Amino acid sequence: MIGRRLSLVVAQAILRVLARVLGAVALAAVAAAAAPVSLVAAGALAAAWRQGWLPRRLFAAAAWCGPMVAVWLAWTARAAPGWQVVAAAPYHAWLGFWHLARAGSPLRAAAVAAPLAIPLGLAAGGLAWTYRTGLLRSGAGGLSPAASVAFDQRQWRHQVRSARARIAAAGSVPLTTRGDLLVVGAVIRVVGHRGGPLAAVSYQRTRSHQVVVGTTGTGKTTLLLRLWTAFMATGLRRHAAGLGAPPLLVVLDCKGGSDARRVADRFRRVLRQAGARSTAVWPDEASLSLWTLPSRQLTTTLVDLIEHGTGSAAYYADVMEALIALAVEAPCGPPASSRDLLIRLEPGWLSTAYAGSGTAADHALIRSASRHLGDVALRFRTLFRRLGAGLDGPGGFGDADAWYCILEGTDQIPVAEGQARALVDLLASFAVRGPQRREILLAVDEFSAVSRRLPIWQLYERARSLGLAVQVSAQSWQGLAASQDERYRIAASAEGGIWLLRTPHPEPLTGLAGTRKAVETTRRLGRFPVWRHQGTSRLSEVPVVDAALIRGLDVGQAAYIYRGGVTYVQVKRLVAAPAAVGGRPVPAAAGRAAGSRPGAEDRAAGEVAAGTSATGARADAAAGAAAGSPAGSAAAGLGAAGALPDVSPVLDAAFGPEPRA
Amino acid sequence: MRPGAGLVFVAEMYGVQLDQLATVLGVSQRRAVAVAARWRAAGHAQAAVLSPGPRWVWLTKAGLATCGLPYSAVTPGLSRLAHLRAVTAVRLALLAAPQFAASAAYWRSERRLRARMGGRIGLREHVPDGEVHWPDGAGFPWAGECWAIEAELTPKTSARTVAIMRELLSRTGDYGCLAADVQVPGRPPRHSRAIYLCSPAARPVVVRARDALGLLGSRVEIRLLPDGAGLAGAGLAGAGLGGPASGEAAP
Repeated sequence: MIGRRLSLVVAQAILRVLARVLGAVALAAVAAAAAPVSLVAAGALAAAWRQGWLPRRLFAAAAWCGPMVAVWLAWTARAAPGWQVVAAAPYHAWLGFWHLARAGSPLRAAAVAAPLAIPLGLAAGGLAWTYRTGLLRSGAGGLSPAASVAFDQRQWRHQVRSARARIAAAGSVPLTTRGDLLVVGAVIRVVGHRGGPLAAVSYQRTRSHQVVVGTTGTGKTTLLLRLWTAFMATGLRRHAAGLGAPPLLVVLDCKGGSDARRVADRFRRVLRQAGARSTAVWPDEASLSLWTLPSRQLTTTLVDLIEHGTGSAAYYADVMEALIALAVEAPCGPPASSRDLLIRLEPGWLSTAYAGSGTAADHALIRSASRHLGDVALRFRTLFRRLGAGLDGPGGFGDADAWYCILEGTDQIPVAEGQARALVDLLASFAVRGPQRREILLAVDEFSAVSRRLPIWQLYERARSLGLAVQVSAQSWQGLAASQDERYRIAASAEGGIWLLRTPHPEPLTGLAGTRKAVETTRRLGRFPVWRHQGTSRLSEVPVVDAALIRGLDVGQAAYIYRGGVTYVQVKRLVAAPAAVGGRPVPAAAGRAAGSRPGAEDRAAGEVAAGTSATGARADAAAGAAAGSPAGSAAAGLGAAGALPDVSPVLDAAFGPEPRA
Repeated sequence: MRPGAGLVFVAEMYGVQLDQLATVLGVSQRRAVAVAARWRAAGHAQAAVLSPGPRWVWLTKAGLATCGLPYSAVTPGLSRLAHLRAVTAVRLALLAAPQFAASAAYWRSERRLRARMGGRIGLREHVPDGEVHWPDGAGFPWAGECWAIEAELTPKTSARTVAIMRELLSRTGDYGCLAADVQVPGRPPRHSRAIYLCSPAARPVVVRARDALGLLGSRVEIRLLPDGAGLAGAGLAGAGLGGPASGEAAP
């Protein structure tokens, strides 16, 4: 009985082995018979494995061979008309291949079989690759359950290598493509997104809020520069085509320091190459005028720039606001500079200004609050000294295509907080009342360092209502905002997507991508280290973004999370042109040379400085020209009319004297 | 001026009328007609009555090739004839100024500027009607300067004129330079001044625009167009023939 039982087991084993051998032999025979197809399939499989391609890439390649097959069939039909001939053409090609191969003409044999063998081989390779990846992804393939993990890691390495090769090839990664797509780099891997060789986001997505998180040295600046440059190039192209308003890019670098200056230099160079005609670096090379704000807004901004206490100190805050409102909304018009405001806060000025046209309430207020004038003036004098000349004009956001604003948020936090508040107010005012509608992208880096006066969620809300897009970047999840609630509000409202570079704590952001369904298979352990191909499978929810992968991202790699999917990108670095050799120093503006033109002196005095818009007519002309707005600084160079010689002799000789009005 | 130089002059200005060609060559109009006929016979030029007044002469492809100029051969557009005549008149007036000849200054025409840009003119770039370069060491206070010349026949809107003036005065790069160099803060401006030659009708707007520029306006000089700048029968008041007044479109 036992012997019979043993014989049965042995016979079963032999039969099983025989069946497998027969199957393998049959498969080998078919593969040998269809040698051209098998060779192409094997090559496609090897290429897909080595490059980390998705199976659909092989299927797409097979589909693109369709025209070749059609031409081949048409040519066959033309040589010998009749549908039977066309139907038998593959068989004849196969026969021809073997005849020629046997006759010692392998190249001719390959040429005869190619029209059919290539698409079929690619499709067969795609099927085999689908089977292989599916088997391993579900955990059912390989010698052990860990095989799927090893396969995934190996494929990641292959995909990274492929993406790096792509961005290294000259001209393979343009800055923008048709359809207003901003190309960021080469795709490494996609989950839940449409695949392709290049990673691109639409221009409209940069017009929505975005979040960028990555630690220092992971390529965050490179990514941001690329996004900004592509935004500018696309925006300018759209504007030239009449499809939109001109773009305006405003970057608030809230860290400051020498590193910010280096980035600003790169920023300027890459933006110039993108077509930006003027790039301003604030406050080092350009200035803005706080005094162009509407009176009401100016009062609010000025009062908010001063820190107030709570409790009984609120009384003094109210007094200060009332006095500032009186000074700003005086009958003679709003102040044109910080100096002008401080003059208005001197004793007696308000009484004199309102003497003729003020209401009884104004006079009562001036009388009751006048004893606080000295204190208020002192606080504002201190504030203006801290803020520096950067906000004292001339200049406005409309003067340049791109602004890089450096806030010293690391070593001068109170100053940077005030500057941030003022800059955002200025930008908001420009967006609403600017002389020209602009498509504005406000990029803030480490804004949490200076957001005490202006909570970042408030910035978000304001930006949303004004049509501005805000791009918040930080070195970590914690750097996004001060509180957990604010961080989630920022991340959850990033309709334009989240860019994640290497960061040690990506879970809150990766969690926003959600989960996807995946097959999970258990396998029975035979005897270690052998696992049987028997077990059960079930559907389970797995995270769309692998947090461990984010922690292990290399420099220049980023994950773009958008709508429940993720695209891993190898970012293409923008190579900026060499730094420009410094131009001739711009002399400060002065009055026009006397006698060059009648009435010129009158115009020069008291009017807007060179380069500022007409709306900035309140700016102090002399101070303005000295500071120099970005667009107008060059213009102001020779606008230093004192340096310009009188050309009347030649013009009078050619055209006669300038006619009087 | 030698006929060969006259050929280049005509090429630079797109086309000129025979009376202006006579002034260029320093000969009588009858003699200019003969020169033009010789150019036509050689296949270098075409001539036709395009507007009231004398015939217009412009260069053919062969003529442009003879001059070594890389321009496209086109017939002067009817809508631009008044403007072309005005710009030519401005150039001739400057040529007649003693300081111009004494300093060996030279005129860089709009056509040359556009050719340098190679068809890359964006919607946002304005090309002046000409540039006058005053060589260094010419002995005049303005030696070394580059002027932008604008001939204004018909009034534009004040805002547009302000925008053009500001663009001319704040430009730092040459025409045809990289977009990044067009306006670079800190660099000296390309045009030291903008010289506006206006018809009486256009002058008020130009003056208003200059006033709106503030301090920058001190670099804008305004004069009236010289005599003979208008088309015959049209005069300066009605000049323009409904076309662009100041080099808005390139042929």
